[in-house]
Amino acid sequence: MNNKFDALKDDDSGDHDQEQGSPKDNEKEKSEEEDKDQSITKKKMVVPGPGEHPLQYNYTFWYSRRTPGRPASTQSYEQNIKQIGSFASVEQFWRFYSHMIRPGDLTGHSDFHLFKEGIKPMWEDDANKMGGKWIIRLRKGLASRCWENLILAMLGEQFMVGEEICGAVVSVRFQEDIISIWNKTASDQATTARIRDTLRRVLNLPPNTIMEYKTHTDSIKYSLGRLPWAGEC
Amino acid sequence: MSTDCQKTTAKAIPSTRRVTVNDADHMPHDYSTTPGGTLFSTTPGGTRIIYDRKFLLACRSSPLARTPPRGLPTIPGVTSPPTKEPDGKTLNGEILNNNSAAAPNSSNAGDDSQFEMDI
Repeated sequence: MNNKFDALKDDDSGDHDQEQGSPKDNEKEKSEEEDKDQSITKKKMVVPGPGEHPLQYNYTFWYSRRTPGRPASTQSYEQNIKQIGSFASVEQFWRFYSHMIRPGDLTGHSDFHLFKEGIKPMWEDDANKMGGKWIIRLRKGLASRCWENLILAMLGEQFMVGEEICGAVVSVRFQEDIISIWNKTASDQATTARIRDTLRRVLNLPPNTIMEYKTHTDSIKYSLGRLPWAGEC
Repeated sequence: MSTDCQKTTAKAIPSTRRVTVNDADHMPHDYSTTPGGTLFSTTPGGTRIIYDRKFLLACRSSPLARTPPRGLPTIPGVTSPPTKEPDGKTLNGEILNNNSAAAPNSSNAGDDSQFEMDI
């Protein structure tokens, strides 16, 4: 798990030369370090600070944006995706979330990803490769609210599917936005049905909302020449 | 920094609460609710840390949740720290991040039934 994570850091662009920053870097000495923010982007496993509410899992926020005019490939995807940060508690989550733009205000072809720490938001990751995702297409204007409800449900363990959830994505596109939630085992129908029902409930979707389940292997098959991570691929 | 934040006497999660279920009608009608409410820290199949939306939103106002995150990378148009950092002018001085939306959001959450959690 950690290895994968570290490997990713290596091909991730920029600012991770300080891997060996203080080992127990809780959220303590934040004020002094905050200025040189680009020197402390990546760190070891985060832990909840004193008095904070721990989450069941640690999570990492990612951001990706398609570079206009560049052909999409897995490689450029991996280069385009940026880690925003990892958190282990409810309070740490809010710190990040409150300093990120709302998905509905993103411009261009971009995505936020929120995945369990150690799982890359890519089909190829071991946790994802047998998996799939529920996709919900949203008309413009709904993404911010739906995304918030989706990730709060995920962080709060509302899905009740054990270890199955991998992460969630919101994809901002030209005419619509897409939210999706990824799980590990696409063939596990009890799990995917439960995820679907929970999604309906937490997003309060109208009964006729179309929800589509896609296995990642299908996504790979049909994605030649398209963006590997986009919800609609 | 973290020491002087008075934590919001964080005992909101009832760790043990017994609910007797004598009748199928007392069972919740969806998967994610446990009898008597969602705030149970122990669930069938193992202990899991469960928070409902309302609780998570309430944590947002805690001082611990309001300090800027450590090591937030500067991605123009994506992460916009509210404190003025060197080149941190938001577009036209507009406030763009989730933070600015917090107040309006939470205040009108109630009347926007589409997004209410419990139905």
